[in-house]
Amino acid sequence: MGAVTYPDEKAARFIDLNFIPVQMPVTNAELMAKYVVKWTPTLLVLDGEGREHYRAVGFFTPDELIASFMVGKGHWYLDNEQFTEAKAMFEEVQAIYPESEATAEAIFFNGVNLYKMTHDPKVLRAAHDVLVAKFPKSMWTKQAAHYRLINK
Amino acid sequence: MSIKICWLDDLAKAQEVARRTHRPILLDFFNPN
Repeated sequence: MGAVTYPDEKAARFIDLNFIPVQMPVTNAELMAKYVVKWTPTLLVLDGEGREHYRAVGFFTPDELIASFMVGKGHWYLDNEQFTEAKAMFEEVQAIYPESEATAEAIFFNGVNLYKMTHDPKVLRAAHDVLVAKFPKSMWTKQAAHYRLINK
Repeated sequence: MSIKICWLDDLAKAQEVARRTHRPILLDFFNPN
């Protein structure tokens, strides 16, 4: 990550605009234990109280890092009940990175987010249908499978 | 002009900034070796 992804101009700009970046070496046993980190790189999205909202493990290319952590920031908005901001973030991932695996997660959670906004179960069915069409093999499509029972 | 990530190494300080600015933290655990 330090050799390829973080020096990338686009990735650096994305992180700078969207997050307060913190790096911690694995020698920090206290934080490794607190967040149950067993492998590197592990990246977490936290709030000001230190609560975890999103986690990713492993190497990311610059574009996959951006796509994944757009979803991570969407989760942070969703958890904070900032549904309008979450919707914008999840939809931006879909627009910019339509082929990314992170986009399948964005579609799933945008369905959840829209349900929180509207209390209309049809938005969950719509999310399911988009997942089936665009990401038929994704785990997010499997996890949305029961939404197919909702009437359109 | 190129941009470089200004990583903090103090999580408590980052949390204080996060509370004040209402922004999320990206915490990267890395192996320096």
